[in-house]
Amino acid sequence: MSMDRREFVKAGALAGAGLAATATLVIRDRRPRHTGDPRGQETIRHLSALDGVPPRIGEDLLIQMQRDLVKAMAKPMEQRRWAMVIDQRKCVGCHACTIGCVAENKLPPGVVYRPVVTEEGGEYPNVHLKFTPRPCMQCEKPPCVPVCPVRATWRRADGVTVVDYDKCIGCRYCLTACPYGARTSDFGEYYTDAAAVGADGVAVSGGRAPWEDQPNHEYGKRWSRGGHRSPMGNARKCHFCLHRLEHGELPVCVTTCIGRATYFGDISDPDGVVTELIARHNVHTLLPHKGTRPRVYYIA
Amino acid sequence: MTNVGTGAAGACGGVGRRGNGPRRLLWTIWAVLAGLGLIGIGQRVAGGHLPAGYGSYVPWGLWVALYFHGVGIAGGAFVLGAGGFVLGVPGLDRRDVLRTVVVLAIAAIIPAFMGVWLDLGRPERAPAIFLSPSFTSMMAFNAWMYNAFMMIAVACWLLSFRERSGWLKPLLCLAIMFSILFPSQSGAFFGVVGAKGFWHSALLPMLFLASAITAGAAMLLFVLAVFQFKDDCGTGCAALRYLRNVTLAGLMVYFVFEFAEFSIALWNPDVHAPAIELILWGPYWWVFWIVHLLLGGAIPLGLLLTRRRAAWTLAAFLVAVAFVSARLNVLVPGQAVGEIEGLQEAFQHDRLKYIYHATAMEYLVGLFLVAAGMAVFHLGERINAWAARWTASPA
Repeated sequence: MSMDRREFVKAGALAGAGLAATATLVIRDRRPRHTGDPRGQETIRHLSALDGVPPRIGEDLLIQMQRDLVKAMAKPMEQRRWAMVIDQRKCVGCHACTIGCVAENKLPPGVVYRPVVTEEGGEYPNVHLKFTPRPCMQCEKPPCVPVCPVRATWRRADGVTVVDYDKCIGCRYCLTACPYGARTSDFGEYYTDAAAVGADGVAVSGGRAPWEDQPNHEYGKRWSRGGHRSPMGNARKCHFCLHRLEHGELPVCVTTCIGRATYFGDISDPDGVVTELIARHNVHTLLPHKGTRPRVYYIA
Repeated sequence: MTNVGTGAAGACGGVGRRGNGPRRLLWTIWAVLAGLGLIGIGQRVAGGHLPAGYGSYVPWGLWVALYFHGVGIAGGAFVLGAGGFVLGVPGLDRRDVLRTVVVLAIAAIIPAFMGVWLDLGRPERAPAIFLSPSFTSMMAFNAWMYNAFMMIAVACWLLSFRERSGWLKPLLCLAIMFSILFPSQSGAFFGVVGAKGFWHSALLPMLFLASAITAGAAMLLFVLAVFQFKDDCGTGCAALRYLRNVTLAGLMVYFVFEFAEFSIALWNPDVHAPAIELILWGPYWWVFWIVHLLLGGAIPLGLLLTRRRAAWTLAAFLVAVAFVSARLNVLVPGQAVGEIEGLQEAFQHDRLKYIYHATAMEYLVGLFLVAAGMAVFHLGERINAWAARWTASPA
């Protein structure tokens, strides 16, 4: 070693300082942090959605869930715990939830929040089909959150993991971290860009349909993709239709489900529909061994 | 291209007479790479991510592999070059060689950064990694560590011009620590992703470090043999022999690690096995068997075992280039195995598939990155030569 003692001490001090700084940064960022989400009284919503509909016994499940929703929104955000229950025995695999979600959030090609996975089982003639709608699991320990290098995604106090489209740099690390494949990237595709192409490959009528640049209202903001604006280039995911909840509306996958197989509500409400379903049935979650503790429960 | 050798002149076995031919050849190669690469850059700018082959289920492709290969080369070359300087390894204990090592490391990192920058969905927001980082993310960690390393390396480069500096070697030690940490941390980048069975392995940081040392040693050997010690059979040959030995050892260690991982997973198939089967027998089997094992392993091993310097140089080139397959073989198969069966059939789209084929645009941009690395190296060596003359001239 061609270093003198003084140089050796300096090297040790520099290395020690470097490691100490690194450890400090990691420990600081590992600690729970304030997300900037509004909390407390400010988040309480007194919704008038069902004011003119008197409660009655045996009313439709959708009305019951909507009542639960109005009740939950009257509490501060940190006291709500949104969850979804999917009854696979009732799901007929119609994909109405998938399409409803695409329409509600104006999802471009290649972006999907709630695909329905079809599994075939048994041997002819004793065969069966099983459908598994797969929204974002809104995990209690979301693996997609800590991997974000710029704090563009976090778990809200009500348990919904959200993405700040204005912050996301589009690195797609969160896509790889989600074991459910629940995040997709908006690569900038349009439905109508290639829709009017003739058999010879020549565009019959060029130009993108104007409705493709109409804004969606995710997270309560207007997002128009025109001019390469966010959410183009961002990671996108199901958010339990937070923008609808704010207005007393259930997530669109719940209202479009023709088999009444999807339930939504606040599991901190002991009398809520979803709380009762979770308590009554032997529910399971997807990939429990991953330790993510999903808030989407399945009845099989 | 670059021609700044300052080694002692003398006869050296296996080194032929050099004229303008090799320089012209290098310039021609660079011009072709840059020309083709610019076409790819044009496509990327005009078409965004649309001409690329990656999607949402395999979100990272060739550019990310090149990124990790580039930073691996930077780390490995710096560890060995700067380590050789600090430890007084003959041939590497010279300041002009140290400066070449710094330039090589930076020339490997800058195109790597360019590659991953082009991969971002919102490249204009890249500074956010430095302005509002979250150090729970290995990506933020990586970015900060590479940049800290570059700053320290540049400081070392500046100090290397001073006759006596009590800070040069301590700072070099710090930079060496970083250049060991960041290739290992590149493995941790994938290792911490519990969602991917193939990645979630404690061996990955070790594999990445081994491949960084191997490819870095090979690249440094190639660069020094071609540009620095081209006519030197004194200390230069000693340095090349040291790098050849490290490359040989690195190759063997890497393949032992790889064998350990593959054999255990295949002996008792677990979550790793599908990805490994994809590597061995999937549509890109040739990347493993031909590029990785043959061009990056068997042939270089044979060449490095000879006593001819020209053979070592060729072997070093092969290892430095073909080891990108080591990155690809971790990156792509890890993503190409989904956790939820039937997901890609649930909603049909080209970007919702567990397969990845790099497109022509991606390859062309890859060529641009190589050309950019060559240009940065050439420019750096020019500055080295100019600064050496300037600092040596009487005040």
